[in-house]
Order: sequence, then C-alpha cells, then structure tokens
Amino acid sequence: MQKWSLSGATRASLSWRTAAMAAVLVGGSLLSVGAQAAPAGCAALAEKYPDWKGKTLVNAINPHTPGYEAIDPKDPSKYVGFDIDLGEEIGECLGFKLTYKAVTFAALLTTLASGQADIVISDIYATEERAKAGDFITYSKVFDGVLVAKDNPKKITGINTTMCGAAAAENTGYVEVPLVQALIPQCKAEGKAEPTLQLYDNNANCIQAILAGRADTYINDVNTVDNAVKAYPDKLEKAIAVTIPYSVGIAVPKDKPKFRDAVFAALTEIYKSGDQLALLKKWGLDPNNLKEPGLLTVN
Amino acid sequence: MSLFLHYLSLPYLLEGIELTLQVTALGLFGGLVLGLILASMQLSRFWWLAAFARGYTVIFRGTPLILQMVFAYDALPHIGIKLPAVLAAGLALACNEAPFIAEMLRAGVLGVDRGQLLAGQALGMTPGVLMRRIIAPQAIRTMIPAFGNEAVSALKNSSLASVIAVQELTLRSTQLASSTFDFFSIFFASGLLYLVLTSAVSVIQLVIEWRLDLDRARRPRKLADYLPWRRVELATGLALSDTVVPALASEPEPVAEPLPAASSESRAKRAAMIARNNVAVEVKDLAKAYGPQTVLGGLNLTVRIGEVVALLGPSGSGKSTLLRCINHLENWDVGTVQVGGRRLGFHGDGKRLSARAIANERASVGVGMVFQQFNLFSHLTAKENIAGPLRWVHGMARVDADRRAYELLERVGLSHRADALPRHLSGGQQQRVAIARALAPNPSVLLLDEPTSALDPELVNEVLEVIRRLVIDDGLTMIISTHQIRFADEVADRVAFLSGGAIVEEGPAHDVLSHPRNPLTARFLSVMGADRITEAAR
Repeated sequence: MQKWSLSGATRASLSWRTAAMAAVLVGGSLLSVGAQAAPAGCAALAEKYPDWKGKTLVNAINPHTPGYEAIDPKDPSKYVGFDIDLGEEIGECLGFKLTYKAVTFAALLTTLASGQADIVISDIYATEERAKAGDFITYSKVFDGVLVAKDNPKKITGINTTMCGAAAAENTGYVEVPLVQALIPQCKAEGKAEPTLQLYDNNANCIQAILAGRADTYINDVNTVDNAVKAYPDKLEKAIAVTIPYSVGIAVPKDKPKFRDAVFAALTEIYKSGDQLALLKKWGLDPNNLKEPGLLTVN
Repeated sequence: MSLFLHYLSLPYLLEGIELTLQVTALGLFGGLVLGLILASMQLSRFWWLAAFARGYTVIFRGTPLILQMVFAYDALPHIGIKLPAVLAAGLALACNEAPFIAEMLRAGVLGVDRGQLLAGQALGMTPGVLMRRIIAPQAIRTMIPAFGNEAVSALKNSSLASVIAVQELTLRSTQLASSTFDFFSIFFASGLLYLVLTSAVSVIQLVIEWRLDLDRARRPRKLADYLPWRRVELATGLALSDTVVPALASEPEPVAEPLPAASSESRAKRAAMIARNNVAVEVKDLAKAYGPQTVLGGLNLTVRIGEVVALLGPSGSGKSTLLRCINHLENWDVGTVQVGGRRLGFHGDGKRLSARAIANERASVGVGMVFQQFNLFSHLTAKENIAGPLRWVHGMARVDADRRAYELLERVGLSHRADALPRHLSGGQQQRVAIARALAPNPSVLLLDEPTSALDPELVNEVLEVIRRLVIDDGLTMIISTHQIRFADEVADRVAFLSGGAIVEEGPAHDVLSHPRNPLTARFLSVMGADRITEAAR
C-alpha cells in the first residue's frame, strides 16, 4: 500500500498508532488552528484542576456545520470553526489537547456516554432530555433559521401552521424535530394536512433534500442556514430567523463532576476575557449569540 | 470536471482508502477465522456445537451490520471492552461476515464428492489428512468466486464504519461535502475510488483462479491449443486412442492375451493349496439394518490368503455393504469382522475406535479397495493419486513414492498418462489408476466393488485384464463383487451368491456357476446370460 502522510488520519481514530506520534502531529495542527493565548485567569485554574494537564482528550463532533465545526476545505486534515477554537482554548486553559472523533449528530451523546469521547463541543442544544445523557455547560444563545427554496414557494413564515402539509428535513436527534411534530395537532385543528419529517444524518443531506425538491424546509441554527444560503444563493433562502428557548452547550460525562467544574471555570475565564466574543466575530457569527456560561444538569 | 479530478486526487480522500482497507481486511480475515470455527462447529458430530453455531448465524446474519457496528463501538465499553474505532468496526464486520463465510466453507466441503472421501478413508487417511489433502484443495478451488464476492461486499460494507467515527472514505467524503458544498463532485470521486478498489479485488480473484487452475498447471498452453479444431480433437482423441482402437495408439497398452482356461485339475490343485493357507478375512454373523430394512442378515464368510472370492447377486443383495463392512467404512449392528486375525475398528475389549485410530489401523492391516465409481482424487494427477497417499499415510519419501507410482502405472499400462488429471482419462483408465492406487501400499486384501459396472462396455475388458493379471502374477487375496459372470468363472476360486443380505449358495466358482443348486442362483445366472459358462471354461 502507498505510504501516505499520517497527519490527516490521526485526527480521528487511529488511537492504535503510537501515542507519541499522535501527540506530536495533533500538537502541530493545534498551532495552525490559531488558538488564542489563554486568558490570565487560567494559570490559577490549571493549579486548581491539575488532573487534565498534559492529557489528550477526545472531542466528539458532528463536523457538518461550517462556521462551527467542519473540515477545512483548504486542508481537509483539519477541523475548523468556532466550536473547534473554543474547545482548544479551553484545553489550553486547563493544559489538555484535543483529538476529534467525527460521528453522526444522534451519536454525539452515546459516544460520550460509552466513554469513546471525553467531551462534546458540537453546536448541540442543551435540553433537559439530553442532560440525562451528559452534563451541559451552556455557552451560546440559540437563533434558528428557516431554510427554504428560493422565493419560498410554500410561503413558510416560521415554525407555525404555515408548515402544515410541508416536508421538513431534519437531522436525527435535532431539537427541531419535536417542534415540528408539535405542529401536527394544530394543523389538524385547522383542517390542514400534517407536516411530514424527513430525518437525515447530517447537515449536507438536509440541504440536498431541499435542493433536490424532496423537502420544503430545514430549520437549524441561523448561522448554518446563512452559510447554506451563501453557498447556493440562486437556489436557497432564509425565510425567517426564530428564537428557540435553548442554549448551546458543551457536554461532559455525568460521572465526572470535577471535569465539568473545570470546563465551566475555564469557559467563564474565556467569556470574561472577551475571547469568546472575538471568536464569534472571527467566524462571522452573530455577537448576539454571546451568553455567560451556565450549567444544565438533571439527575 | 476539474473539481471532480481535484477531489479524485485529494490526499485527504486517498488517505481514507487506507482505513477502508484496514477495516475490510480485519473484517475479511477475522470473518475467515470465525467462519472456519463456525463451519467446523456446524459440521461437528456434537449437536450442541452445531446448535450454537446455528444460533450465532441466526443472530449475526439476521441483524443489520450498522447496528452491529454501533454495538461493538458503544455497547462493548459498558462491559469494559473499549476497542479503538477501527478495531470495533473490524470486529463487527468480521462477526457479520463469519456466517456467510462459514456457509461458503460448508458448501465447499460438502461439495467434495463423497466417493473421494470414502476412497481416502479406505486408503487409511485420518480425518485430518483427508481434510488437508483431499477436501481443502478441492473446496478452496470451488470457493474462490464466492470468496471474491464476499471480499467485494465486505469492502463496500466497510463504509458503514463511518457511523462509528472511522475516518474511512465515506466519512471523509460526507465531511468534505458538508464543508465545501461540492456534494456531487465529491461523491462521484469517492464512488470511482470504491470502483477501483472493488475492481482490484476482482482482478486478484481472477489471478488466483488462474493460478489454481489445474489444467494450467499440468499442461502449459501451446499454440496448438488455440487452433479451432483442438477442442474437438482433445475430446474424442482421448477416448479413441486408448480404447476402441488400442492397436493404433502410439503408447504402450497392456496386451490382452486371453488367459489359458483353467482346467479342472489345475483348479483342484489350487483349491487344495489355498485350503492350507491361513485365514485372511473372517466375517461372522454379520448383521446390519437400516430401520426395518435388513441389509445384512447374519452373514458368514471366510476367505483364505491367496483366495479370490467373487460375490454375485442382484443389486441390493448386500454385496457392497459387506465389502464396506470388511474395511469398516460402514458400521454394523451385530457380528465380527476379522482381517489378518485382527478385529478392525475395535479395541481388544470390544470398544469402538476413534475415526483416526480406525484410519491408522486400516493403513497398517492393509485392506485395499476399488470402487464402482473409481473415486480418484480429481485434483491430483494419476501419479499423485498413487504417490500422495503413500507419502501422507505411510510416510514414504517423495522419491520412493514417485518410483512406486510409476512402477504401478507401468503395470496397469498407463505410465504415459502419469501426469493426466482423472477428468482427462477414460473410465477404463481411471479404474486402472484406482486399482494401482489400491495396490500401492501392498495390501493384504483387495476389495473390488463392481469395478466394471460404471464402464462403457468397450472399456470393461481393459480393467478385467488388469485384475486377471493381479490374480496370476501376485496371488493377491481378493473379494470382488461383480456382475461379470464369465470373468468370475475365470478368476475366482470361489463364488458366493448373496440374496437379501445372506449367502444363499457358495462353492467352487465353476461348480456353482455351471450347476447352481439354489433356484435363486439359477434364476439370476440365467437372467445374466451365463448359460454359456460351461462352454467358455472348458
């Protein structure tokens, strides 16, 4: 077999290769991602939470969301985006490095729960339901965009009865799925056809469903929707942006409260230092997303 | 198009191939190992092993691979087995492939002609030798196309490892599509990469098939083979040259000199001599039944060293079963069989021996057997059919085994066909090779089970001639079941007439055949057109 460079492969799952080689390569790519210098308060945190210093942790991501987490089109061996930078800065603050494990959206929390990943930073909305599978440190407000075909042929105006009879593309496990399902009784009450749901594996497939005329709408994070419109300006448009009563969160295992507290403390430092706002701007995301870190845990 | 070419040569995607191949290789080789275990469990004598394998097959063949992948990746860690993603994917793929590969192996093993297994057993091969030398080489040849299929399907199925974070080709393609929005260029490129990989598997399959092609190994292709009439010439030429017009054949053929008809004095002299010899085979009260149907009903037979006994009787009278029992190729219900004073197949205390021990005993006691259907090992040349068992069973050195094989082929007039495969030999030639094979280890007794019944009439004589020579030149002890009445009269010292699993009449061959006392015998002989015996043997 041909001898290819390893740098791309180490990103994900080649943990059977020598750990040393992986560390060197991941370290190298970390620098190139351009994580910012850790805030001043991190020095104290590193002393208070020394357990992860020098470790390499696994971050499970669903890398299909350009702006948050996706591979770098210029160098596909790297993941780039707001979440990636944020995670690496938390790591820098606490002294650990991250490798990435790409999984489907629905598998993010199961991967965490089975111990195959140590942390999930992947634009996942923190809900009570999900908090049963992992503790959440929330870090961003949620604005959803409603993606439709150009000129909005079905005249959809939001997650409301204008979606009756429409086909909505969603990712398996997305919080928008129950929101659309909740429309079914309302549509029935008004004597309209029910909305139907098409469940896909990733963001790209949902967008393709609209492009292929299979689905009428796709509701997701507004920045994701904006990126899709940017990629297909002739074919897609954003019908509207809506507020969703959730926050985006970092998920950590339920049985590691100390790790949760450490990440929470590190994130708070990053928020206070203004680095989080800078990152939003760097990735062209709406500064209104900024939110002071919080916790969501259920027992 | 340029985007397509860009993605086709993108190192990121090409690196994905490495992981795709790793998962496929783990799945295939793991599946092969598991499949071998499963197949041997299913073919095992112990019902509970077979039942376990059945259960495994039902579960792993009946559930989707994608669930098995997720299980190996996400569920196993809960019981403390945390495999790296590639190994988890390889494990799931291996577990999934195993039942399919096991069925392939089982079909391959069961597809090997039963007659060849009997022949191997009769030659004293242990189950292990039989598997390694006879079953496996033939089964593997038939399984290669199916295995090629399985390899292609495993390669494609490895794409499901993308659900458990293995960065193989499919996962890389979808991620790249997500970040670049170049959906179709990317999927066409990765589709083409898969196509190249599966084509490579097909090429490997064809090369292996070609390398294992027995005809290729035996007979290098010559220009003449490509001439249009070559095939016709091959097919008819073989049959013609050795049988219908033996005189025209360029190769030496056994000259069919008619035997001098034995006079009654010489028969009597021979009978008196044999009567002084030790007992070679002794069958006592042998009984065997398949359910309510009696095959052998308390049969007694004694054969002395150097004696030739012909078993006559209608089909189903028990002749073949009797021969197989003498060699312990079949079990029986009641009675004893002794060959050279030993009870074949039993310990001194009457306990039954293992298959392996019986095989060793067969080899040491020396009971050769010739079958109606020849049962040559079809993947071996005429020479190897003879020399192989000598090496594997009797531990003979290759040179010695080869020398012995050539010597015997010479005796049956086939030294010029030493390198021919059985399928390129006529029926008569095959049976002559089979006789040579049975003689190779110098058996003390030779059993011939209707050696000419499967032959075309014009091929019968060449085989009978070889057997006649054995009687005259070797003085070999033989038990022959046959329908060739005249031949029995010529070569046999004694004839035993079987009916319904018992000997209803026996005695000196010529007496019984020309003056049968039992009405059953008389009727059988007249049906077989044996009325002319009297004149023939005068």
